[in-house]
Amino acid sequence: MKNILSKYSPAGTLYFIGSMLILLAIWQLVTFVTKAEIPGPLATWAVFSEMLADPFYDYGPNDKGIGIQLWSSLKRVFIGFSLGSLVAIPLGLIMGSSKIGMKLLNPIVQILRPVSPLAWFPLGLLAFKASDQATIFIIMITSLWPTLINTAFGVSTIPADHKNVGKAFGFSRWKYITKILIPFSLPHIITGLRLSIGIAWVVIVAGEMLSGGVGIGFFVWDSWNGLSLEKILSAILIIGIVGLLFDKIFNVLQKTFSYESK
Amino acid sequence: MKANNELLIDDSSSFHKIVTEKSIDIKNVTVSFKSKGKGVFTAVKDINLEIGKGEIVSIIGHSGCGKSTLMNTISGMVSPSSGEVIANNKVVTGPGPDRGIVFQNYSLLPWLTVYKNVFEAVDSVLPHLSKAEKIELVEKNLNMVNLWEHKDKLPSQLSGGMKQRVAIARAFSINPSILLLDEPFGALDALTKGSMHIELLKLWNLDNRNKTIVMVTHDIEEAIFLSDRVVVMNNGPAATIKEIVDIPLARPRNKKDIIHLPEYIEVHDRLLNLLFDKFSIED
Repeated sequence: MKNILSKYSPAGTLYFIGSMLILLAIWQLVTFVTKAEIPGPLATWAVFSEMLADPFYDYGPNDKGIGIQLWSSLKRVFIGFSLGSLVAIPLGLIMGSSKIGMKLLNPIVQILRPVSPLAWFPLGLLAFKASDQATIFIIMITSLWPTLINTAFGVSTIPADHKNVGKAFGFSRWKYITKILIPFSLPHIITGLRLSIGIAWVVIVAGEMLSGGVGIGFFVWDSWNGLSLEKILSAILIIGIVGLLFDKIFNVLQKTFSYESK
Repeated sequence: MKANNELLIDDSSSFHKIVTEKSIDIKNVTVSFKSKGKGVFTAVKDINLEIGKGEIVSIIGHSGCGKSTLMNTISGMVSPSSGEVIANNKVVTGPGPDRGIVFQNYSLLPWLTVYKNVFEAVDSVLPHLSKAEKIELVEKNLNMVNLWEHKDKLPSQLSGGMKQRVAIARAFSINPSILLLDEPFGALDALTKGSMHIELLKLWNLDNRNKTIVMVTHDIEEAIFLSDRVVVMNNGPAATIKEIVDIPLARPRNKKDIIHLPEYIEVHDRLLNLLFDKFSIED
C-alpha cells in the first residue's frame, strides 16, 4: 500500500495540474482557431456539469443519462475483457511452457492479432444474432492478444534455477504450476492484462457506434447526430478519465503482485 | 573416519577392496552435449568413482573442467551419455529425494518466505506426513541453521550467508542420505565461508556422520578442511579424473591447528601441484 500513497506526492500533483493546464490551453487554442466551431473548455463544462447533475435519468431508449451509458459500457468491457482473459491466460501458459504449443499457436496469434475490431463485428453479428453480444465478442477477441503474448513470454522465461528447484525436490506438476510458474509469470500476466483492458476500452466506443443501443460509444454517435459537440467532448473526457483509472488500477495490481518490489 | 576410509578403494593400489556400504558408484561415465554448430562437446569422459556411506568427497578442478557436470550426473539433473551412476543401490535416472542438492546460487524461490521455501520442499518430498509433522520438520531444520526467527523474510531480505543456510536447511529437511553441494560457499566472503564450513560439519556430526556429502569446489583449503578425499579433475573438454587424494587428518579438525600439521602442508602442496603444474616457473 506504500506504493499507492507515495503516488500522491505534492510535486506529482503539481505536475499533474500543470499537464492539465497545457491540455486546456491547447484545447482553447483549437477553439480559437476554428472560430468556436469546436466548443471550448468553458462551453463544454456548462454541458458537462449539466450531464453530471442527473447522470441516471431514463427517458426511453434514446435518451438516457451519462451514468447509465457509462455503466452499460463498463459492463460490456468487463465481460468481454474477462472472457478474453479466460482464453488468453491458459493459452499463454500452454504457449509459454511448450515449444510445440508455441510453434503451433504463434502463427495463428500473429495472423489474428492485427485484425481490426470492426472487421470482426459482422462475424459477431452472424454468430450471435444480437448486436450486444457482437460488441462483447469484438472486445474479447481484440483485447486478448497482449495478455496471451505477455503470459507466454513470462512462462517461457522462467529461469533454469527456478525450474531446477522443482526438479531437485520432485515438485508435482500442480506444485510446479502454483509455486513456480504462476508466481514468476504473474507480473508479466498483469502487464498483459493492463494492455488488454486499454485495448478493450478503445474498442468499446467503435463497437457501440456500430451496435447502437446504450453505451458511451453510442452516446458519442447520438450526440453527433444531435450536433451537440459539447456532449461529444464531454464523452471524450469521460472516456479518457476512465481509461486512466483502469491503467492506475492495473498499475497498483502490478506493484502488489511483483515479488521484486517487496 | 579413518577406519571408514580404509574400506574404500585405495586409489594408489587401484585394486578394488570390498566396500561394505557403497553410497555412490560412478561407472565409466561420459557426458557429451550437442552444441549448436560445433557438433558434440564432451564435458567429462570415462569417470569411475566410488564413494562410501558417510564420506565427504570434494571434486576440485579449474573452471569449465566438468566438475559440476559430473556432480549433476549424481543428482540426476544430467544423464550420462554412456556409463551409469548408482546412488543408494539404484541406477540414477533423474533427481530423487534420496539426494539433496544445494545449488551454487542458492536457488531459493524469491516469492516464497524462508519458511515456505523449506516447507514446499518438505511437502513435495514427504507428502505422507501430517501438516504438524511437516511444520515441525521445517522448524527443526531452520533452527539448526539459526534462521527460525527470520522465517517470515523473503530471500531478497537475507544476506548471502543466510540464503546459503536456507538452501542447506532445505536440502537437510528432506533428510537425504546423499548431500550434493555445487560450489556452495563460492559466493561468500572468507569469514562467512569459514563459519559455514563449521556449520556444515556440525550438521553432519549431528546426523552421526551418516550422510554422504559430495561437494564441488575450487578452494583447496576448503576441500582439505572438509573432505575425506579430494578428487582432482583434469582440464576439460573431455575431462578425466587426474588423481584422488586422501586427506590424512583426524576429525574433529580444528582449522587453526591443522594448517601447522606436516600432513596438512604435504597434502596442500600436493593438491596445489596437481592443479597448477602447467603454470610452474620453469615453463
